[in-house]
Parts: sequence; C-alpha cells; structure tokens
Amino acid sequence: MNNRFEELRRASWSLPDGKQKLAVMEEMIRLADLYRPVSDAYEVRMNYVSAAPDGGCAERMMIAFAWCLAEFRKHPDQYSSFSLLWNYKWVLNQIWRIPEFSRETADRVFEDFKAMCTEFGYNLRPYHQQRVSYLLSLGELDEAADAYRLWRATPRDSLADCRACEQNLFGEYRFRIGHLKQGMKTLKPIMDGRMRCHAIPQNTYSLVMNPHLQLGETDQAIAVSRKAFRELEGPAYLEEYGELLETLTLMDLARAYKLYERTLPFVRESRIGWNNLNYLYAAGLFVEEWTKSKRRKKLPMADQVTPEWISDELGRLIQAFDRRNGNSIISERMADRVKTFHKLKRKLAKGSV
Amino acid sequence: MTMNFQVNLQGLIDLLSNHLYSDPGIFIRELLQNGVDAVTARKRLGQSFEGQVLVEVYPSETLSFTDNGSGLTAEEIEQFLARIGSTTKRGDLDLADDYIGQFGVGLLSCFVVSDEIVLITRSAKGDGALEWRGKPDGTYGIRSLEREVPVGTTVFLKAKPEFAEFFQYDQVEELLHKFGQYLSTPIILKEDRYERRINVSKAPWDMKKEEALAYVEETSYYRPMDIIPLVSAVGGVRGIAHVLPHAVSLQDEKRHRVYLKNMLLSDKLSSILPPWAFFVNGILNTDSLRPTASREAFQENELFFAAREELGECIKRYLMELVDREPELFQRLVRVHTESIKAMAVEDQDLYELFIRHLSFETSFGDLRVSDILASRKEILLAPTVDEFRQIARVAKSEEMLVVNGGYVHDLDLARRLPWVDSSATVRIVNTLEFAERFKELGAEEKAEVQPFLELSDRLLSGFQCQSLVRWFEPADLPVLYNTNQEVNFFRLADDAEEKADPLYAEVVRVIRDALYERPYARVCYNYNNPLVRKAVESGNPRMQKACIELFYTQALLLGNHPMNADELKLMNDSLLFFMNEGLARTEVDR
Repeated sequence: MNNRFEELRRASWSLPDGKQKLAVMEEMIRLADLYRPVSDAYEVRMNYVSAAPDGGCAERMMIAFAWCLAEFRKHPDQYSSFSLLWNYKWVLNQIWRIPEFSRETADRVFEDFKAMCTEFGYNLRPYHQQRVSYLLSLGELDEAADAYRLWRATPRDSLADCRACEQNLFGEYRFRIGHLKQGMKTLKPIMDGRMRCHAIPQNTYSLVMNPHLQLGETDQAIAVSRKAFRELEGPAYLEEYGELLETLTLMDLARAYKLYERTLPFVRESRIGWNNLNYLYAAGLFVEEWTKSKRRKKLPMADQVTPEWISDELGRLIQAFDRRNGNSIISERMADRVKTFHKLKRKLAKGSV
Repeated sequence: MTMNFQVNLQGLIDLLSNHLYSDPGIFIRELLQNGVDAVTARKRLGQSFEGQVLVEVYPSETLSFTDNGSGLTAEEIEQFLARIGSTTKRGDLDLADDYIGQFGVGLLSCFVVSDEIVLITRSAKGDGALEWRGKPDGTYGIRSLEREVPVGTTVFLKAKPEFAEFFQYDQVEELLHKFGQYLSTPIILKEDRYERRINVSKAPWDMKKEEALAYVEETSYYRPMDIIPLVSAVGGVRGIAHVLPHAVSLQDEKRHRVYLKNMLLSDKLSSILPPWAFFVNGILNTDSLRPTASREAFQENELFFAAREELGECIKRYLMELVDREPELFQRLVRVHTESIKAMAVEDQDLYELFIRHLSFETSFGDLRVSDILASRKEILLAPTVDEFRQIARVAKSEEMLVVNGGYVHDLDLARRLPWVDSSATVRIVNTLEFAERFKELGAEEKAEVQPFLELSDRLLSGFQCQSLVRWFEPADLPVLYNTNQEVNFFRLADDAEEKADPLYAEVVRVIRDALYERPYARVCYNYNNPLVRKAVESGNPRMQKACIELFYTQALLLGNHPMNADELKLMNDSLLFFMNEGLARTEVDR
C-alpha cells in the first residue's frame, strides 16, 4: 500500500488542477489514515486544503481542514500554528460564499479564527480583511466600512495576505462601494505590473473590466479582456469567468462563445453558490445575446444548459442568499447589474462609450 | 540643490555579468551587433561601400572586432561610451527599427571578460582617428591618433585569465557562427594569414522545403516528418516549424530557436509558438518584436501574443490541408503525436473536427479508433476515471457494452463532444454506481427467492456504505461486481472529520456533506449466473449466508484493488476462519 501511496503522490503532481487530482488525493488520505503515521495524514490533508479551491471544489477543503483543526488542537506542539492559521483564512474566504451556511455558523467560524489568532500571537489584520468581503456579501455596508478601517489600521504581520492580494482587495472594496475612479487608482500598481503573485493580476483583470466600461474607457476594457482571456485558466476562477463573460458578451460575442464553451463544465461541477451566481448571471446574458444574434453555431451542452435551467438556478441562488442574509440585497444587486448591462449595451451600440 | 549619487561601475558590471546575461559568451554577440549596426548606420548616411565585420584572433588571448561602419566622433564617444545606458542609436527614433541593439549597454558585457576595452574609431562624418581606453572602474581616456585609420571602429579586448577560453579560435568561431550565421553583413574570422567567412549559410526561413528538411537533418541528426512554413505579418515573423519524427513528453519545455533581425536571440524560447504545438520545433526570425534588456527573450506584450496566435494559425492551416494533400503523412503524424493532438483538439473546435475520427481511445473492447467506434455504436458510455473504467470494463465487454475510458488527460473532454461530429451519437457518462442496474433483471419468482438474501446483505454491509442488488450478467465466473465511485471516498473522509471535529466544525462538515452533496452508496451486484452465488442463496442457512456475503464482499474489494479498513479485514478473516472450521468439521464427520 506504501507503493500505491507513492504512485498516487506522483500522479497528483502530474495531474492538472481539477476533480481528478482531488480524487487521487482523497485516496491518498484514505491510505494515509489506514497505513501511515498521523503526521502524514495531516500533511496530505493540508495539501488537499490548498488543492481543493484550485480544483474548483473549495467546499471540500473544509472537510480536510476540520480534521486538521481537531488534530492540531489535540497536539498543538506537533504542528505549525502558522500554517494552520494561514489555511484557516481560506476557510473564511469561502464560508460566506456558500449560502447553505447560516449567518450564525459563519459568525462562529469567524470568531473561532479570531480567538486562535490572539492565542497564537498574531494580530487581527486578516480577520478584519476577511470580514470586509463577508459583510459586503451580506449587504451590511456600514459594518463593512468599519472592518475596512480596522483592517487598514492594523499593522501587517506574517499572517497577512501578500501585498498584491491586499492591494487587489483594497481596489475591489472601492468598486463595491461605487468609487470606480478611486478603485482604478488603487489597482494601478497591479495593472502596471509592479505588484503580482500567483493569483494577481488574474483576479484584478476581472475586477476592472466593467468599471472601465462604466467610465467610458472602452480601449482599456478590450485590452484587459484580452489578457484575462489568455491568462485565466482552470476551474478556480468561476467568479472571474463570469465578469469576463459579461464584458465579452458586450464587446466580442465570438470570443464570449469560446470562453463559455471552455468554462461551462466548471459551473456544472461547482457547488459554491456565490461563484455559480456570478457565473450564471453572465451566462444568462450571453445565451440571450447569442440567441438574438441568430448565429448558426449551436451552444455547447445545449440539451442540459437551457435558458430555463440557467434562470431557475439563478433564481434559486438569489433566494438562498436573500434567505441567509435576511434581506433582499442580492436580488436588488443582481437586478441593478442587468440594468447596467443593458445601459452599457445601448451606449456601445451608439458608439458613445 | 540637486546632486548626483554615485554609481559603482564595478558593482554594476558585476551585476550585469552575473544576472543580466546568462552566459559570458554574450560579449561576442554584443560586439557583432555593434559592428552590424554601425554598418547599417553608415549605409543610412548614403555612403557606398561593402559592409563587413572582421574578427581577428591574436596569440596572447587578445581579440579584435573591426567594422567599416559609421565610426564615432569625439562627441558620440562622450555621449555613448562615457554614459552607460545611452546609445547613439536612440536619437533616430523613427528609424531605430533597423538596428538590432536597443539599450547601449552592450559594450559593458565586454568588461565581464576583459579588464580593458581599447577602441579605435574614425567617423564616416569626417574628423580624424580617435583612441578610447576604458576600464571597468569607470575611468577612461581619449586621444587623437596621428596615423591613418580607415572609417569604422575596431575594438580590442584582452581576456581575463578565467575567461581565456572565450578568446580561443574554435570558441570564437563557434559563437560567431551561433549568433551571426544568418546576418547579411559578411563576418570574417582571421587568425595569422588564414581567413574564412562565417556567414555563408542560407537562413532556414529562406529555404525551400527540401532544403529545410536537409538542413534540419544535418543540424539535429533526425529527418523531420515535414516542414511547416510560418509567417506572421504581425511582428514581421518568418520561419519554419519542423514536425518531430518522434513523440515528445507534454511536460518537456519547448525550445524554439528565434532570431531578431537575423541575429540569434535565443535557442530555447518556449513561448513563441502556442503551448499546444508540442509536436514541432520552430526556427524563426522577426523584424519587429521587442526584446527584453538582456536580449535573450521577447517582451511578452500584445504584439507578441498576436504574432503567436498568427503562427498558431499557420500550423492549423497546414494540418487542415495535409489531410487531403498527403493522407498517409497525416496518419503517421496522428500516430506519433497522439497526445499532442489530443491537447490541441481540446482547445479548438476546428482541430477537433479535423482529428477526432483519427484518434483512438481505450474502450471495453480494447483500443479503438473513433471512426470505428462511431461506425459500430450510437450509444457510447464514458467512464470518467481510470478506476471506474477498470471496475466495469470486463463486465461491460461480456455484456456487449461499449465503454470508453475517459480517465486519461483530455479523453473525457474529447469523448464527451463526439456528437459534434456525429449528431446521431449519444454519449453518456457512466454512473458507476448505477452501472449494474443495466444488467438483466431476475424473473418474479427468482426475485422473491433472493429477497431475504439481499436484505441480509444490506444489513451486514450498511456500515460500509454499501447496497446490494442481484442481476444476470456475464462472465459467469465472476460472482460479485463491486462498484464504487470517487464520491464514496470523499464521504468517508467527511464522516471521519465529523467524528473528530469539535461541535462547530462537526456542523460545518454536516452542512457540506448533507446540504451540498447526496450520499452515494457503493454497490455489490451478485451475479445470478454464478453457481456459487445461487448455492449461497439456496442454502437458506443464515450463518452460512452471512459468511458467504462477507467473503464475497471482501473478495470483490481485493480483486478491485480497493483499500480495506480494519473492519473489512476482520470481516474477511472471520469469514475465512468460519469456512475453514466448517470444512475441517465436515472432514471429521466424513472420517
């Protein structure tokens, strides 16, 4: 069985990010549980925690993380608190995206992280940072603004996200509260190539396209969409594909088709409500425009992914978020986005953007 | 008050030698480049002359590079040589594109290998001859020369002891050849009275197909399958791609050879052709792609990517024409480069339609070409992983079902799209857990007879997340088919995590497992065709049946290479010991 374990490890290294790789790692975990020391089982699970979001199955990470957290609490001296808390941040970044979690559960997870940071001597910068995204998704803008201030006021320590990731989120925050120009300014060092990491600028591309269009900067939007089309790859970027698909639907329907074809299988596999919501929103617009354009090419997976299926799924997700949030922020926001889309479309048709 | 801060030239040179350039031999390229650019500059002045760069190798590890180009005036020397980073070539921005060099740091690479640069020059614009001597600490001197010197520039270098090898005739010849063999300005190498011209060869991008085939064979020691001409108006690229006669690993870094205005830029550039083009090696020349500071790669800007796309189109067009033009060669190409072609076909619908019928997949009937698959069946089943394929392949064959193994990289995506080329075909992804339900059901009477046995089996195996059914299927010698899928493992992990976690995280695990997923059960399907299974059902003895079920189950796990946990191992041992006991007891009775 040790041979099998090594064989699987080699396979996991050579497979591209995705479900097959995760399946291989799940078998590795099973084997480690049965035949190898606990520390191996811990290590394989920690690797799985970072591979799961890359493979488009971020929710699965929490299963492995739950086990590691319990094991860590049993033997805190045997494992790195830093690495555990570092991965804990990804849990926070996912939990609000899954509407099946109640607010109460999500809040308790955030508090648990906060207590652990304090216990192991880290400050609360990442805690505040993660809360900004969470509160924005709940539509609680005042609380989000408070968290944003606390985030920026707390000095960076080793647990903080890398500077490029933080800068990206500073910009995203500005966009979310409607300060488009300020957001652009904030993201300039990234767009100029002066800050980058493994996820930046790919993440940033998807953020700036729509604001560019709204600001009337069509050329920039086109240039960024080209880069995004080239550089976004794999199942981890579903939300970003949504942004890109929306922009391409407005500006380059043929390329939008290619993107849709390439990314549609990912949404069929994804169980993360927030990402699916943002992708399907754009997919709905794309399918509508494609059908209107009367092109002969058939849409991919047309027998399963019908306009009705997309709109049912969208409706279900919007309801799920509204239910969790206890308000109607998400339905309002989605309705606004559709309006903005059509406004931009009219402007582009007139050539006034 | 504005002040200048000091730059430590020695430090800068160290930086360049260690970090900017990947190889000390680069100074040969830089000097060659300066010479060729000077010739271009003098031609631009409208003077009529035969341009040439002469390289001389002297004893005592000294080299000289002489060109009959524009030369430098005292002012230009001040401006160009005494200030790092400025270049005489920059003033003329509109025309700058004819030059190879861009950054004016080229001469510095000489300090990597030499402690002094001596430069003798006479400008084509007039004035007398000048001598400039520079040292790596930043000091230099200029003086006028009395003697007659022809228009042009000569650079003398004496090797630092550790770089003496780069000043040997053979090494210089090799480097000149490597970098400059396709330059149009004649390059002459001289030692004593012996002279030879380095660049007599025709560039591959100017060759006809037969010439290019012979050229690649001579330089790479294999005869390529074919030559694909490459042209991109964007970036002014021309070149050839030769189709490799052997398969290559998709993991290998590609090494394309790329020239900038006929001067070698890199012989290991991977990104100039699209990543799917594994099966070719390219030799290309560009007029207008922008190099990076070290001039060992290109700036990857929009222009670069547009050119790359254009080159990719050339390869695609070639393949599409090849099917009709040379069907045999096309078949050979598919056979040798299957993996590469699969990767391409996933990316591009046109290529998919072109290739898919010629590709082969592993199926329950062995390796089959797609054209044969489509000719024989319209209903195609697709197993999403190698593991699931193995579980069902043998039985599927006996049952006359065609199952395609989609477990290898790209195969799932390729096979899933078969209806694109044959609209009458349907492709279904096998749900391994429901696979056995496709087999022939039992008659009503038999069903009733089997029912208690199945209930017992469900009861005994429910702890292993396993449900039971019974069907008629082939081969008869297989008593039980055990099917699981990837999700079963995941659920086991979730259950373990729930048990181990604190209440908060146990709740987290439950939400994910129960609200986001549906629990899958593994299946054991008993084969009513198998005499042993029928005997077990007929025996009516619950103790005996229990042991049979436990042994059938654990045997199926073993045969399928599924890992057994402690409980399953115990099950197997207990049932084996039970039968041993039974057997021994019977022997005793017989005695």
